[in-house]
Amino acid sequence: MSVTLESLASCWQGLIPATLYTCSLDGVPNAAYLSHVDYVDGRHVALSFQFFNKSRRNIAENPQALVRVIDPDTSQCWALRLRLVRSETSGPVFERMALRIEAIASYSGLKGIFKLLAADIYEVLSIEAATEEVALEGAIRGEGREASSGDPRFTMRALQDLSVRIHQASCLEELLDSILAGLDEIFRFSHAMILVPAEEPNVLVTIASRGYPETGVGAEVRVGEGIIGVVAEARKPIRISGLLRAMLYAHAVAERARQTGLCPPDRIPLPGLPSPESQLGVPLLVRGELVGVLCIESEERYRFHEEDKTSIELLGSYLAIAIQNMQLHERATSAAEDETAAPAETTPVSAGPVADHGPAPARHEVTFHEADEIVMVDGEYLIRSLPARILWKLLTAHERDGRTEFTNRELRLDHSLHLPEIKDNLESRLLLLRRRLEQKCPDISLVPVSRGRFALHVAGGVTLTTRP
Amino acid sequence: MLDKQLSAFLEEGLSIHIASRNDRLEPDAALVAAVRVEADGQHVIAFVPTVAVHPVLADLRANGQVAVVCARPPDERGCQVKGTFVEAWNARDDERSLVASQWERFRDRLEAIGLPRVATNGWVMWPCTAIRFRVQAVFDQTPGPGAGAPIA
Repeated sequence: MSVTLESLASCWQGLIPATLYTCSLDGVPNAAYLSHVDYVDGRHVALSFQFFNKSRRNIAENPQALVRVIDPDTSQCWALRLRLVRSETSGPVFERMALRIEAIASYSGLKGIFKLLAADIYEVLSIEAATEEVALEGAIRGEGREASSGDPRFTMRALQDLSVRIHQASCLEELLDSILAGLDEIFRFSHAMILVPAEEPNVLVTIASRGYPETGVGAEVRVGEGIIGVVAEARKPIRISGLLRAMLYAHAVAERARQTGLCPPDRIPLPGLPSPESQLGVPLLVRGELVGVLCIESEERYRFHEEDKTSIELLGSYLAIAIQNMQLHERATSAAEDETAAPAETTPVSAGPVADHGPAPARHEVTFHEADEIVMVDGEYLIRSLPARILWKLLTAHERDGRTEFTNRELRLDHSLHLPEIKDNLESRLLLLRRRLEQKCPDISLVPVSRGRFALHVAGGVTLTTRP
Repeated sequence: MLDKQLSAFLEEGLSIHIASRNDRLEPDAALVAAVRVEADGQHVIAFVPTVAVHPVLADLRANGQVAVVCARPPDERGCQVKGTFVEAWNARDDERSLVASQWERFRDRLEAIGLPRVATNGWVMWPCTAIRFRVQAVFDQTPGPGAGAPIA
């Protein structure tokens, strides 16, 4: 083989559909489109077995196949003669292909319907360039390509730069922001978000993001839904290229499923970018515990390479430890400082500084819906669950007693907040609350005063109402 | 065999490929630039770029077994037509406009899903060889439950 499978790396991203040709034992050819051809090693590829049953029956009778793939970088079509070696229903190749399909399926409400039944492993007997679908003049044919100048480089120097930023962070907020800024400025991953487990089981909540018009802080994802939810569920990284085409394919399956009586739920909106073409989800794990999920997106069709996934997976382990250490450190130091510091003072309501937001701040109607544990501000959703209970406690104390300063310790000791006794993640919840307020109601703000102590500023006043 | 609705679909300007097999039961294939369904619905003509037609045509002359698969971006609606080879000829100039028209409509569809026209500028779509075959069966090829079911 003069052209190698390695040199055709772009063909394995699923950006352009491949076609599979087989033949039954009685001599009838068959053709089918394939969602994905996956690279296995220098002599093997894997084809996804989902729906093409006639192809599968033919292969069982006659293991010879032809697959045609198109290089999205050059438009050159390559014809690969194949022979089935085995089918895998477990193992790294199967899992990689299955997770990708599962993530796409979940966006269309097709999880469990649109799934990988097996990864069929084929030996590649020959590779030939097609004579009609040929590369553009000047396009590189098959030879190994250098990464484009826009691609990130996971050099030791780059990793060291990120590490320095992380070490300079003094609190969780700075740490998360420095991670996202580092990914952007060092690796040019400019759209990224970090989600952490929410108080409610099997839910992740966005705690930090970068590169989006809306921060999305507070946005929730259920475990098992979308790339983030599937990453959290499988605790394995997922890389998707050509997401638009994959979504169209999944949509076609969903439409057919509806027509045939299966009723997948409505499509779950994609997080972040309105039309991402590439997504990379990385679980942040410490000793098997899920600390969070890092999701990076791009509008480029082939932004994340296999080697990026490996590097970011390693990076994810490092980030997970850094995040967990910071959470533990913040909790320990705030508790220690709290015990030596004076209790939070009761100060008059008027003592709090008022942020300069131009015109005089308006009075806000803040409503706590007790049954759902949701706080609404001026009729709009702000936050729910533990951060909602915390905000309600703070505003109530502010209105009733005129308090403007609070400590993390008193929140921890307040049984009405129902914080978990172990790993309460209070600092994460306060950060989430602070950012939601910045985004949705800047007239109410939480300002750190010292470690474990913060001030509540309310500009313009609030009217508090509870609803059952 | 092919009703008016299905015939119109096939001639919309789709992604189309033709498959054959040799005497060792190894498949061969080529891209199809355009198809025309004859008025009787029993015969289809596939226009295959001549630069790529040789192995397919050799197979068809030897054993006659042919399959043509098509899909429509962006909704992925697709079908497969199976049949037996009847005859082939060098596509005539008066057939060129049909080929060009379908091919350009297909490129419009590709552009709509993010593949720019420039990406296919290098593909050799003319001259073509016209391959006429008699339809034996048609199968649904839209992905999802029901894919592979006979529709004609």
